[in-house]
Parts: sequence; structure tokens; C-alpha cells
Amino acid sequence: MAVMEMAVTPFHRTAGRAALWAALAAATLLTSGCAGWVRDNLTQSATPWRRIQPAALPVTLPDSRDFPIVAARMRDTGTVYKTYNVALGNPTSLAGENRLTVDVQTLPDSLFGALVQPPRVFPVPLYTMETLTATTRREFPDMKVKVADIARRNRYGDYDYATAQDAENSCVLAWQLITDHKRMLPERIEAVRLEYRVCGVGSNIRALLAPFDGLTLTLPETILEVQDLGGL
Amino acid sequence: MTRPLLLSALILAATAIGGGSDAWAQSNGGARALAPGVKVEVAPAPGSGSAPAAGKVDETALRYYARIGDGERMEAEIARLRALDPGWEPPKDLFAPQPAATGVDESPFWSLLSAGKVAEARAAIAEQRRKSPSWQPSDKLLQELDLAESAGRIRSASDTKRWQEVVDAAAAQPEAVACNRLDNAWRLAEAYAELKQTDRAFDTYKTIVTTCPKAKERRDTIFKASRHLSPERLRELSALGATANPATGEDYSAVRSAEAELETGRLLERLGNAKPGALSAADLSRVQGIVRDKQDADGAIALGWYFQKQKNFAEAQGWFTQANEWTPSDKAAEGLVLAYNGLGDKAQARAAAAPWKGKSSRIDQALKAVDPPRGPAGPGGGRSAPQGPSELDRALARHDFAACISIIRGTIAKSGPTAALLQQRGWCLLELKRPSEAEAAFAEAQTLAAREPAKGGASATGTAPGKAGSRSPAASGLPQTATPAQENAYGQAIARLATGDVTGLTRDLPRANLTATQRAEIRASLMATEAGRALEDKRYNDVLRLLDARKELEPEPRNLGIVRGWALYNLMRFDEAYVQFKSIDDRLSTEESREGLSTAWKTIYHDW
Repeated sequence: MAVMEMAVTPFHRTAGRAALWAALAAATLLTSGCAGWVRDNLTQSATPWRRIQPAALPVTLPDSRDFPIVAARMRDTGTVYKTYNVALGNPTSLAGENRLTVDVQTLPDSLFGALVQPPRVFPVPLYTMETLTATTRREFPDMKVKVADIARRNRYGDYDYATAQDAENSCVLAWQLITDHKRMLPERIEAVRLEYRVCGVGSNIRALLAPFDGLTLTLPETILEVQDLGGL
Repeated sequence: MTRPLLLSALILAATAIGGGSDAWAQSNGGARALAPGVKVEVAPAPGSGSAPAAGKVDETALRYYARIGDGERMEAEIARLRALDPGWEPPKDLFAPQPAATGVDESPFWSLLSAGKVAEARAAIAEQRRKSPSWQPSDKLLQELDLAESAGRIRSASDTKRWQEVVDAAAAQPEAVACNRLDNAWRLAEAYAELKQTDRAFDTYKTIVTTCPKAKERRDTIFKASRHLSPERLRELSALGATANPATGEDYSAVRSAEAELETGRLLERLGNAKPGALSAADLSRVQGIVRDKQDADGAIALGWYFQKQKNFAEAQGWFTQANEWTPSDKAAEGLVLAYNGLGDKAQARAAAAPWKGKSSRIDQALKAVDPPRGPAGPGGGRSAPQGPSELDRALARHDFAACISIIRGTIAKSGPTAALLQQRGWCLLELKRPSEAEAAFAEAQTLAAREPAKGGASATGTAPGKAGSRSPAASGLPQTATPAQENAYGQAIARLATGDVTGLTRDLPRANLTATQRAEIRASLMATEAGRALEDKRYNDVLRLLDARKELEPEPRNLGIVRGWALYNLMRFDEAYVQFKSIDDRLSTEESREGLSTAWKTIYHDW
């Protein structure tokens, strides 16, 4: 292989040495705490949950006597995911909290963030028949579970749900993935995952789903609703 | 003592295996893949030169082991050669240097192979052939290279859950799946199971437990199989493993006990989840027998709760008493208190609680079922109510927390809320895994307690509710019994722990109105949670620091012992990790303890 010959002057040697030192220094910095290696490494795992005021939630739920907001929490996973958990009232004596979970996946805001992303906090597809069966069995033990054949629609499009019933109570598990960032989601938001689990007294499934049907996302950025897109 | 085996019959299930028995016989030389000190996966006879002439015993492997000083393998090889030729005797010049038959010493290639460097070994052989074109590596060396590569393929496919590829790789090189490569055999069985070919998985496990001679290997195989096979098949497997083809000097009782351990675990798990009467009489009788034989206090407690749920309080009391005799604990005493309460024997219930009263929140809670902290409009109808357990007491005694919620809701709707009722509601909500509502209930109870008029003897602790929390039991020389205010604060803290509000709770803990015992308990739980997070974050020194600090507050439970083991392992303190896992596993062997033990062991002995 031909090698290009180059005259090595003292200047070149000095410049070369300086470049070498610079590279070494950069390498040292990058592999030490100074470059934030430890911090960046740590930010890939979820922070502990922290309580927030309901007003700080990125979602508004219609007023409900049966399912008021009991507590609101949030946590971050890396710099990409924010997860909000809204504990709702539960008028039954069944085990398990009624809740709405909102996962917001934003686009990384730096090259490093793009390169080092935490594992996705929700699976896609959100459920398979196997995982749905396992989840409903865990959430609604000893109840008769049925997966709805037909999706329902709220402000943000179609969502799927399963119902569970026993002699006195009914429950629903609804899930939705919003990924239409060309039309519905603003540029910075990659996806929003919603999951809603509620149990109530009686057998009125529609009443249980009403808060999910009527919720409004209030993320800082504009999110368009399905009806907003009707004229597009 | 070693037994020839290969699982080719299983891999090529539909194929008649020509010469299969020969292949099995060839693999027996190093059936020690799991033995301490063996650092290589490649087991059988290495050596140089070509295969021996028919009728003559091949001593090359034996001489190789002698040369590298691997005594254990040397013994195994001697046993193998004697099995092949009963008249054969080990050569007297075993340790004398031997001239290389072909002029090329193969030892470097074997060394590379032994170190798992298959590609390097192939490259070195190619280089040697370039230098000495007339030289041919021995068939044995080439065969071992093929085997090592196949084993690598099996491992890689298995690690990435490409199950069919595992089966295909094993079929392509059946010799790679043998007693001396037990890990491959387990992976093959797992692949069959994952491919829903349960019969083949069972056959693979069966071949292992009937042909691999080591009791430990058979026992480990049964534990592995427990993830994939039904209890009936496991029972069959254990019976076979304990009796089939016994090797001299091996004690197979451990194989039987593995099955018993699994059986107990399974039945106890079912007991915990079972609805009354859900267990068959035969299963119930079996688990009772096992628990008695092992004097298993935890098992006895599980049985106690099983009967308690059925309102069979007499039987429940018997098992809780038994548990308390075997290993006194507040868990056993809690059951005993509630069982006596169910029987209407409050004096005995209080006596059972006495050793733990004020020291265990569990017992203090249970005592509320015996002497409910009723307000003027309590669920039992107030102080003048007739003696005997109220509806709420009975619900608590049978751990029916849904009923607890319903009864309290009904009582509140009828007579209005009291601090005691709301506090009890908080505890029941916690049991129902509704911590957010529980926290709110405790906070509400706190607010109400502050408003309720002081009433002598209104609470179990005798503290004036209006002044709840303002009095320091320790300062007044009284035992550290929690005031209602402290119980509410404690309930809130437990609820916050359950919701994962670690940061907020850590911040608020110093100001919380708790007894010293309660504070220590919450602090220990917070440190345990933080240790778990530190493990996730790979901050292993932090894990140890937190667990050490926690240990000063409370004894370390086994789940945190496992966390400690993994922290040590990841800090490359493998020996300490092994000792940690071993001490846990020796007390009660579970899937987690076995995984830790096996991983640490394999790392120490390079037995992957």
C-alpha cells in the first residue's frame, strides 16, 4: 500500500504532540466523571415516583363523583420519558387501585440523548393476547373478563378495552397509543400511551369508560384532537 | 462411576441412531462438567497423534491430563478406560514425557481449546499446517473443535431465545449434548419446552436424570425442569433420578428432597391463593405431612391462614401454635391471636399477643380485632355493645378485607366517621393494594382524631385522642406503644412506601410523629428500596453501603440477601457472592438463590 510521505518539521512534531495530548485529555475527560459519565448512565433508569398536584398533570379528567382524583404522581425515565400516574377513587371493595397512566415519549434533545436512550417504558404493541390475559388476570382476579371486539373512540382516536364483571361490580381496562405525530402530536412528542383501569359498582360499562372518553390531554405543546382534524 | 450418555436419541428422535451407543461411550470420559476446579467445557480425551488401533486403549487423553496435573479428570479417564477394557492398567510411565508421534506437539492447540478460544485454536492449527504441510491434526482435536463450536452455537441460540436453532444445532452435533456438557442438555430441554414440545423436553430431562451419575446434576436438572413440566411429570422424573443407574458413592436422597421442596413450594403457593376448600383432601394431607416432617414454620403459618379463611379457627389455631413452637415469630403470633379471637377466646388471644405487644405493628393490628378501638359510634355499637366479635372483627379475623371496607362504609353511612374507623379503613385498603386511598384515609383519620373530644379509654392505648401525638411514651417511662396519632402517621408512611414515594417520605421522615420502632421500620424499608434502585443503577458499592446500614436496624430478609449477593457478584467479589448465595440457598433453596449460586459458581470455575 502506498504511504504518503510527509516532511516532519519541528512544528509538525509540536503540533502532532499537542494534538495527541488534546486527544488524551479528551479521552480522559470522557471516561471520567467530568464528562458526566456517571450521571448520564444513571439517568437511564426511572426516578422514584414523586407526588404532584393534580393541576400539574398533563391531562384533565371530567368531574366524577365515583372516580375523583385521589393522588397524582410522576417520574422520569432518562430524559425521554415522563410517566404520570393518577390514582382515582374506587367505590368498590375490590382489590387494586383505579388509575390512569400517561406515558409521554419525547424526542431526544441532543445527539448523546439520541444515542443513549433508556429502554422503552411501554411495549409496542401495547398488549398481545398473552400479556393482556396475564394483566387482566392480575388486575381482576376471579372476575369474568371479556375483550371488546370493537374499539371505542375518544378525543384522540380509537382505543381498545377489556371488561371484567362479577355479581356486584364491573371493571374496565382501556389502552391507547397516540403516535400520529404528523397530524396530531407536536414535533417534539414521539408518542403518548394511555392506560386506564377502573372498577365500579354495578354493570354500567359506559359509565366506567366515561372519564376516559372525556379526558383532555393538556401537555405543554399543542395536541390536536380527532375532531380538529376533521377538516384537514 | 461415570456413565456414558448422549442425548442424540432425543435430538434425532425419529432417527435410528447408528453407532449411537459408541458415541455415548465416547463421551463419558469427562462427565465432570459441573465439578469444582474444572475450567473447561471441552471434556473428553485430548491428545496428539492419530486414533489408536482397534483393540488398543487410547491413552493420549490420560497422558494429557497427567501432564497438566488435572487429577480429577485423570481419575475419570482411568475409570473410563477400565470400563472399556477391564484388563487394562494405567501405564507406569504416565508422568514421563512422551515423544510427539508426528513431530508436532498439539498441546498449544488443546490449551487454546481448553480456554474456549476455538477460533484462535483453528488459526493456530492453520498456521502450523502452513509451516508443516505434511502434518495433520489428530481426529480427536478436530472433533473437539467441532464440538466446542456446536456448543457455542447452542448457547448463542438459547441466549437469544432462537429455540428452533438450539434444536437444530444440537441435532447437527449430538455429541455436544452430553453429561459432560450438561448446560447444553438443559438448554436443549428448555428449547423443546419453549417450542411446546413438552414430551421431548421431558424425555431430555429424563435422559439426564437417569444417565448422568452425579446426584447434584440430577437434582439441578429437576429444578430446571420444574419451570417447564407438570407436577406429575416432575414426580416421575424425581423417582427416576433417585433410583435409575445409581453410581457408587453417590447419595441420591438429595434428588428426592428436590422434588419434595418443589412440591412443598407449589402446594404452599396454592394454599396462599386458594379459596376455602380449593385444595383436594389429598393435596392438603400431603402438604400437612411435609410441613410436619420439615417442621416448617412458614408452611404451618400458610396452613393456619388456609384454615382461618375457612373459619375453621380450631384447626387454624393448631397450626399457628405449631408454627410458634417451631419458630416463634410475630407472624405466627398474629395468626394465633386472630384464631383465638375467631374462637371467641379473647383471653388466650391477648396472651398470645403479649410477647409482641408494642413491638410488632402486626400484632398491634391483630389486637384491634380482639379489642377494637371503638369510638362512640363504633361498628360494634359502642362500649355497651354485647361481648363477642363484631361483624368487622370477624371480617378482620378471616382476613376478608373487602368485607372490612364494605362494613366500614356501611357504618360510616349510618353513624358517621370516627378516627378509629377511618384508620381501620386505611389498613384494609392497604391490604387491598390501594395505597393512595389508604394514605388519604389515614390523613383523614388524623384530622378527625385531632377534632374528636378526649375520652378516657377511648382507644386501645388509652391516649387522649385530642392530644394524640403530643405525649412522648418514652419520656413518660411508658413502653413504646404507639398513640393513635402515631399509628395514623405510621399508616401514611406505609402507604407512601407502597406508592413508591421514596423521595418524599425520606424528606418527611425526620418530622413524622412515629415511635422509635416505627421510625426504624420505615427507615429500613426506605433503605431496602434505595438498595434496589442502586442495584438497578449499577451502583454496587452503594447497594452494600445501604444494606449494611439497614442491617443495623433489622435482620436482613432473604430477598435483600439475594440483592447483596448480586452486588458482590457485580463487584467481582465472586467468592463472597458465592458464600452469600450459598448461605441463603442452604437455608431455603429457591429459584433466585439457585440462580445466584449457579452463576457465581460457574464464574468462579469458568464453567459456562
